[in-house]
Amino acid sequence: MRPIVSGLLIFTLLYLAVDILVKSNSFGLFNSTIKLTLFGDEEQFIEPLSQASFLEFIHTEIFFIMMILLTLSAVYARVSHKKSFSLWIINAVLLNSLVSLIALAFSYYSSPLLINLYVVTFFFWHILAFYMATCSLWSLNFAKSI
Amino acid sequence: MLLASSILIFNEKIGFSVQSVLEYYQGNEDKFITAKSTSGILKIILPHIFVFGLFIMVILHFKVFTKSRNSQVFHFIIYGAFILGLLELFTPLLIIQGFVFFAYVKIAVFFLFEFLMLYVFWILFKSIVYD
Repeated sequence: MRPIVSGLLIFTLLYLAVDILVKSNSFGLFNSTIKLTLFGDEEQFIEPLSQASFLEFIHTEIFFIMMILLTLSAVYARVSHKKSFSLWIINAVLLNSLVSLIALAFSYYSSPLLINLYVVTFFFWHILAFYMATCSLWSLNFAKSI
Repeated sequence: MLLASSILIFNEKIGFSVQSVLEYYQGNEDKFITAKSTSGILKIILPHIFVFGLFIMVILHFKVFTKSRNSQVFHFIIYGAFILGLLELFTPLLIIQGFVFFAYVKIAVFFLFEFLMLYVFWILFKSIVYD
């Protein structure tokens, strides 16, 4: 089972890294670029993102985040040594990802100010997920006992 | 959120009337809507086949931890969810063949699937809070 779970965790780490790379090249990672993608810019002749495209984007994001964090949390909860600490981490990663998705939806439909909240929670959940995957890999392969 | 976004996408891209479903799949020359091809629909349903199976499995496997895991209703929900998922995926192929009836099926199945999943979520939340 160890190589299978290790493989899954390596793929999860790759996903997290590539997700940031793809977002930096397409959707944007920070306030100004995300605002440009969502609302466009008349001076630069950049079209705003259509509602259909935005819905497709957030629809796939919800599914992928749900699946990634579900599998990662299951592995991390199983292999982590500090149970109460791992519970905090799992709750934090799930809450941050949930807030990031809600903030993104509200920033598109109501207030662009919420893009800042999206950016902060987006990075938070990526960092936490990265930590969870790395810790799980370490516990699986290098720790003395699980 | 996934269910809510799917309702919004359905409303935005297709629409909830039989006429709009038929127009989306069979096209409408007056409105310059091109008809969907079989390969175009297959491209959409290919990732959804995997996603539907995984989503239903992930959500329903939590029911094992509830008190209703051995009930007849649970078995009905399992079969119901997978059958509704299959119908939801493959009715567009029948709509483009000219079967108007399946436009009704598409809309009905979409809502039935959403309600079934909401019912499962309600059972799961109830179990988390009270059991």
